[in-house]
Amino acid sequence: MNTTQTLQDIIAAALSIPAAQVTDDLSYQSIPEWDSVSHIYLITELEAAFNITIDTDEVLEMSSVEKVRETLRKHNVNI
Amino acid sequence: MSLYGLIARNQHLRYVDAITGKHYTLADLQATVEAPDEQALAFLYLDNSIASVKMLLNCLNSRLTLALLSPKLHIEYKQRLEEVYAPYYIYDTTRDEIPDFDIEESGLYRSHRGVRNVIHPDIKLMLSTSGTTGSPKFVKLSENNLVQNALSILNYLPVNSSDVTPLNLPVFYSYGLSVFTTNSIAGGQVVCGNRDVVQKEFWEDMERYGYTSVAGVPYVYEVLHRIGFNRKEYPSLRYMTQAGGKLSASLVKSFGEYLSERDKHFFVMYGQTEATARMAYMPPHNLLRKIGAIGIPIKGGQFTLAPETNELLYSGPNVFGGYAVSAADLGTFEQPPVLHTGDVAKVDADGYYYITGRLKRFVKLFGTRVNLDEVEMILNQEIQGETFACIGMEDKQLLVFHRHGIQDDASIRSLLAKKLGLHPTAFKVQQIDDFPLTPNGKLDYTALQQGALPQVQA
Repeated sequence: MNTTQTLQDIIAAALSIPAAQVTDDLSYQSIPEWDSVSHIYLITELEAAFNITIDTDEVLEMSSVEKVRETLRKHNVNI
Repeated sequence: MSLYGLIARNQHLRYVDAITGKHYTLADLQATVEAPDEQALAFLYLDNSIASVKMLLNCLNSRLTLALLSPKLHIEYKQRLEEVYAPYYIYDTTRDEIPDFDIEESGLYRSHRGVRNVIHPDIKLMLSTSGTTGSPKFVKLSENNLVQNALSILNYLPVNSSDVTPLNLPVFYSYGLSVFTTNSIAGGQVVCGNRDVVQKEFWEDMERYGYTSVAGVPYVYEVLHRIGFNRKEYPSLRYMTQAGGKLSASLVKSFGEYLSERDKHFFVMYGQTEATARMAYMPPHNLLRKIGAIGIPIKGGQFTLAPETNELLYSGPNVFGGYAVSAADLGTFEQPPVLHTGDVAKVDADGYYYITGRLKRFVKLFGTRVNLDEVEMILNQEIQGETFACIGMEDKQLLVFHRHGIQDDASIRSLLAKKLGLHPTAFKVQQIDDFPLTPNGKLDYTALQQGALPQVQA
């Protein structure tokens, strides 16, 4: 499994939506499933999966799939 | 005086649209809502936008009885509730049309069938006891309940006319509504919008508008902690409030210390929808000395402990007028002499109360009260031929028991997540061979609770 696939699966699992629904422009609060609860859960899952620590500003920054990807790149996650 | 009358007296009050930054006086938002001669019911599915706040204010200024509900409620649940209570008006911007209703200029949908209930004139407001299960159980509140509770809260909260208060909790929820009523009566700017603390925009708004207070249920404080709230400075902030369940001792300490070191106040509070919202609060100067306490009763309120059970009993002018579970219950408004909170408590030598347990069958998930019996009913309806038992796990999770090998655990979790609109991590499913029974043949929840703890943690 490649990292992009993994990221898609992590997001899908954290938001409890089908992986096919995880597109780059999917954003926070654009669907009922992406609320504050699932957002914090997503952050925790990303930290565990890529062994990184996501800081405060980044938690708020990661408001879309695209931005999640950007933040992960900053942490040298190869996606 | 009526709640609206008190709000109208507040010359400093401005409602601010968080999106546009535009300010509105109460008069700017005023519009007539026509009420029929008979007492009539309006279902208001409200978010925290300026449009919703306007609707709420104008309905409060009418003779209507209002039921406040979440616009995010599952559509099936909305329809079921509307069947049970036959409202005269509905406000719901999430629907383009409602069968047998016509939309009016005010934005309200009006029923073709007119008023179909007899409603006691003292019922001003109805709040759901559970945000998500779609249960038809409402708490009936009077105008006097709302006014008295708001005034008691204003007796201890330092609300003043230079305040800028965000509505960051839903107004259909008793705590969020109390933030709205108290700040409308005595505050300055009330900022209306749907942004929450996980959004960058909320924090930009905090700087832009200069929020002076933030309210949160325990889950909000967990999030604030996670995003490093205490590592930053908020010059405009004067105080924070917490209610809606027990905040962990470590977070009470962390936020209590952070705020007191900066001469800001942290109000840890206790209440229930059945008491309109508030019953007790912790005076901030004693917060760190009495971590874990719910505090002392609000002005006008009194606590006693029931003999034998030690159940916490409350009396005061904010005690509700009974539940409604069907349209027939709208005909009465009877305040019980004492409110049975369902919580077991103790009191210390200084008169501070502590909750030590719970008699009622519910769990708080992310600040929302979820009735365990109602969840069992939902499961029994959706998955027929199986038996389910639900218990709460320290207000963190809801644990579902079912028999081995009939249904898979994942599908039960996702079903509940979907039906209740809560994240699947809130649910834990466990299979057992047989349900423990009490001597008289009922499900033995105490045994389930005791048996569950070690296995779940493993």
